[in-house]
Amino acid sequence: MIFENAAGSVDATVVRLLGTLSEAAAAPLEYVARWKRRTGRKAVGVLPMNFPLELVHAAGALPSLVQESSEAITDGRSLIYEFYCAYSRSLADQGAKGRLDVFDAIYAVDHCVALLGALDALRFAIEDRPIHLAQFPASMDEPASRVAVRERIAEMAAALAALTGTAPSAAALADSIALYNRDRALMRKVMDMRRAGTARISARQMQAIVQSAMVMDVAEHIAIMEQLVPALAQAAAGAPSGAVRLFLSGHYCHAPRPEVFDMIESCGVSIADDDLFTGYRFIATDVDATGDPLDALTDWYFNRNVTVPCGTRAQKTVDGADTLLTAIEASGSQAAIILLPKFCEPHMLYFPEIRKALLARDIPFLLIETEHEGLALEMLKTRVEALVETMKRGVAAH
Amino acid sequence: MNQPLQTPAPANRLTSTRAGGKLVKDYWDNIFTARERGATVVWYNGAALNPIFQAMGIEWCHAEAFGARLAATHMEGPAQAMGEEYGYLRELCSYARTTLGCAVLTRREAENPASTAVADDMVLASRLPAPDLIVNAYAGCSTGQQWDEISYRIFDKSLPFFKVSYPLLWGNQPDFDYIKGEEWEAAARYVADQLRQLIAFLEHTTGRAFDWEKLREAMHYIKIAGQLRMDALDLCKAQPTPATFWDWVACIAPINFLPGNQDLVDFFAGVKTEIEQRVAEGIPALPRERYRLAFDGIMNWNKVGWLANKFAANDAAVVCGRYTHTSFWHEPHLIDVEDPLLGMAKHYLLCPFNHNAKVLGQLLIKDCEKYNIDGVVFHSTRTCRSASNGQMIMAKMAQKAGIQTMFFEGDVADASFYKDAILDTRLEAMLESIDVKAMAGR
Repeated sequence: MIFENAAGSVDATVVRLLGTLSEAAAAPLEYVARWKRRTGRKAVGVLPMNFPLELVHAAGALPSLVQESSEAITDGRSLIYEFYCAYSRSLADQGAKGRLDVFDAIYAVDHCVALLGALDALRFAIEDRPIHLAQFPASMDEPASRVAVRERIAEMAAALAALTGTAPSAAALADSIALYNRDRALMRKVMDMRRAGTARISARQMQAIVQSAMVMDVAEHIAIMEQLVPALAQAAAGAPSGAVRLFLSGHYCHAPRPEVFDMIESCGVSIADDDLFTGYRFIATDVDATGDPLDALTDWYFNRNVTVPCGTRAQKTVDGADTLLTAIEASGSQAAIILLPKFCEPHMLYFPEIRKALLARDIPFLLIETEHEGLALEMLKTRVEALVETMKRGVAAH
Repeated sequence: MNQPLQTPAPANRLTSTRAGGKLVKDYWDNIFTARERGATVVWYNGAALNPIFQAMGIEWCHAEAFGARLAATHMEGPAQAMGEEYGYLRELCSYARTTLGCAVLTRREAENPASTAVADDMVLASRLPAPDLIVNAYAGCSTGQQWDEISYRIFDKSLPFFKVSYPLLWGNQPDFDYIKGEEWEAAARYVADQLRQLIAFLEHTTGRAFDWEKLREAMHYIKIAGQLRMDALDLCKAQPTPATFWDWVACIAPINFLPGNQDLVDFFAGVKTEIEQRVAEGIPALPRERYRLAFDGIMNWNKVGWLANKFAANDAAVVCGRYTHTSFWHEPHLIDVEDPLLGMAKHYLLCPFNHNAKVLGQLLIKDCEKYNIDGVVFHSTRTCRSASNGQMIMAKMAQKAGIQTMFFEGDVADASFYKDAILDTRLEAMLESIDVKAMAGR
C-alpha cells in the first residue's frame, strides 16, 4: 500500500519507517547479528508463544523471537517429520543449517507438542549452547499452575544471569517492563487506527510492525514507533475505504506468509482487525508495572489468555470463540477468515468450536489452511472472492 | 533376501493373554451399564489414574483406551465420521478425533435414546456412558490436555473438570538423567501435590471421603502385577524369544486401566508362568527366529495382527518396544504401597512420550543391548506428534551404536495413513542390511 496524504503526495516518512521495520521482520537473524556487532552483547533466541521478553532484556541481552524462515526446509527434515507445522519444521531446519548460531542460547516456555519436538531437535543440532525449557503449565485453572510459572520464571532469571553475567534485578525488570508496555501501547494505537479506519495500513505492514517488535531491540523499536504513529495518522487522513471489512483469526504462534494477506486484500477486502500472534494477540496485554516484577510477569502469562484466549492453553473459564465473536463485532468486520497452519493441533481441536460460534451468529467465514511451501494462492483467491461476493449479496457464505 | 515378505504367519502367540482379553471385555461391558446401575462415571485421558478412581468408588472410562479398542476392533469408522462431521480435520490426532466423535455420539444418545436405531456398527462407538466428571492427566502431549478442554465444551461446560499438568522431563540441570537429579525429584513432588488436589476435587465432587486404604490395596496389587510383567519381559532375553512385542501389546490394556486386584495379579502371573514354561521347554515365539527387532512409537491399533503376521512371516521377532517396555508401571520399585502417591506421580511422569530425545535414545540402546536387537522399527505415526518427537534423533543414536533402523508410516487409530508397500520395501532393505552385517562379521 502506498501512503498518500490528502494532497496525493507520498509520505516518505511512513515509507521509510515501515521499511526499517519490514527489513527487521523479513531478515531477523541478520538484524540480530548486526545488533550483536554493534553492542557486543549477547542475544537469546526465544520461542513463542508466551515468552516474557522483559526477563532477557533485563539481563542485558537481546531477546529475539525466532521466526519461521522463508527458506525451503531441507536439512531439518532429518530431525522432525513432514507432518509437523511449518514453524516447527522451519525451526529444526534453521537449527540444522546453523542459522541460529547467531544466538547465545535458545529459551522456551511453552508447551506445544510440536514445538517441544522442534526444541529437542535444536538441542541435537546446536550442542554447544544452552537450550533451556522453562515449561509453563498450559492449564490455567489450577492454583498449582501459578506457583509453577512463578518458579520457572525465577529459574530462568537465574539461568540468564549465568549466561549474561547480569542478574535481572527488580529495578532492571521494572525498566524493561515499562519499555515493553510502551512499545505495546504504540502498536495498539496503530491497530486502533486501523480498526477505526483512520489509518490505511495493509495487513502486511501491520504484521511487519508487530513482527519487528518481536525481533528488535525494544528501545529502537519504540523510537521508530514514536515517529510512525503520528505520521500514519497524518498520512491516512481522509483516506476512504469502500472495501469489505474482514477479521483475520488464527496462527497462534507464527506469522502467516504476507503474500496471503496481499491475496486477500486484492479481493476488495480491507483487514479491520485480527487476533493473530503476529498481530493483536502479541500486543494485547501489558505487564503490571507495579509490585514484584516476577509476580507481574507471572500474572501477565495468565492475563494474556483472558485478553485473547489461545487454543494452546487449557482454561475452562475463558472461551476463545466468544472472544472472537466480540472482537469481530467490535471491529465492524463483516466476515472472518480463519488462518490455520496445517498440522496445528490446538487450532484443529478448537476449530469446530469456532465454527459453531460463527455459524450461530451468522458470521460468514472461510477456513484457509496455510503451509510453509506450496500455497495455492490462485485457488485460495477464488475462495476469498466467493466469500466477498456472497457477502456483497448479503448471503451467508456457508 | 529373496523370500516373499508376506507368507502364512507362523507366530506362536501366548495363550495366557486371552484371559486378559476377557478381563478387558468384561470391564468395558460393565462400563456400558454404568448409567443403569446409577454409578458415577469419570472420563479421563492420559496417565493411569484408575487406582485413585477405584479408591474413590467411581467408575472410570479411559477415553483414549476406548479409541484404541475401537480401532483394534475395526469399529472406529462411525466415531471418526462423526468427528469429521463435527469439524475435525484429518490431520488431528486420531485418538482425539475418534474419542471426541464418541463424545458427540454419546451426547446425542443421551439426549435422544431413539437414535440407537442407527446402524449396528455405530452402536459400540455410542455406548460410552455420558460422564459425570472429567479428569485430564496427559503427560508429554499438549494435544492430550487440550482435547479434554473440548470434551468439556461438548458437554456444555457443565461438568466438574480437573487437570493434572506434567512437565516434560527436559533436563536443564547437569545432574539430570533418567529417574535422577533434582529436576526429576521436583517434578515428581509437583505432580504428587496435584494428585492430592485431585483427590480433594473428587471428594468435593462426589461428597464422599477418599478411601486411602483402598488406594493402598489397589497399588499393592498393581505393584505386584507390574513386577510380574517386568519379570516376564526380562525372560525374553532368551534366544529365540519365548514371546514377542505383539504379545505384550495384548497386555497393555490390563496393566493400563483394569482395577488393581487379585485378578490383575493372576493374569500377569499366568503370562509369566507360560513364558517360563516356554523357556524351560525351548518353545519359541517364532519357529524360525532369524532377526531380533525393537519397535519404537505408539501402536498402530488398526494393524496389530497384520503387523504381527508380517514380521513373523519374515522370521523377524519383534522382541521389545518403547510402548510396552518403558511404560505402564514399569518401575514398580518406585511404588511405596504405604504412601503411594509419590511413586504414582513418578510413573505418570515416566510416560514413554514424556522424555527428551537423548534419554529416549539411551533407553532404546539399553533395551537393544539387553535383548540383543539387530534393528529398530520406528513407527512414524502421522497424527501423533507426541510419539513421533525425538524418533529421528533416536534413530541417529541407534545407528551410531551400530544398530540398523527403519521407518514405516502409519497412524495410531486411522488406518488410512498406513502404507503397506513402504513397510515391505523398508523392512526388506533393513533385514538385508542385517544379513550383510552378519556375514561381514563372520
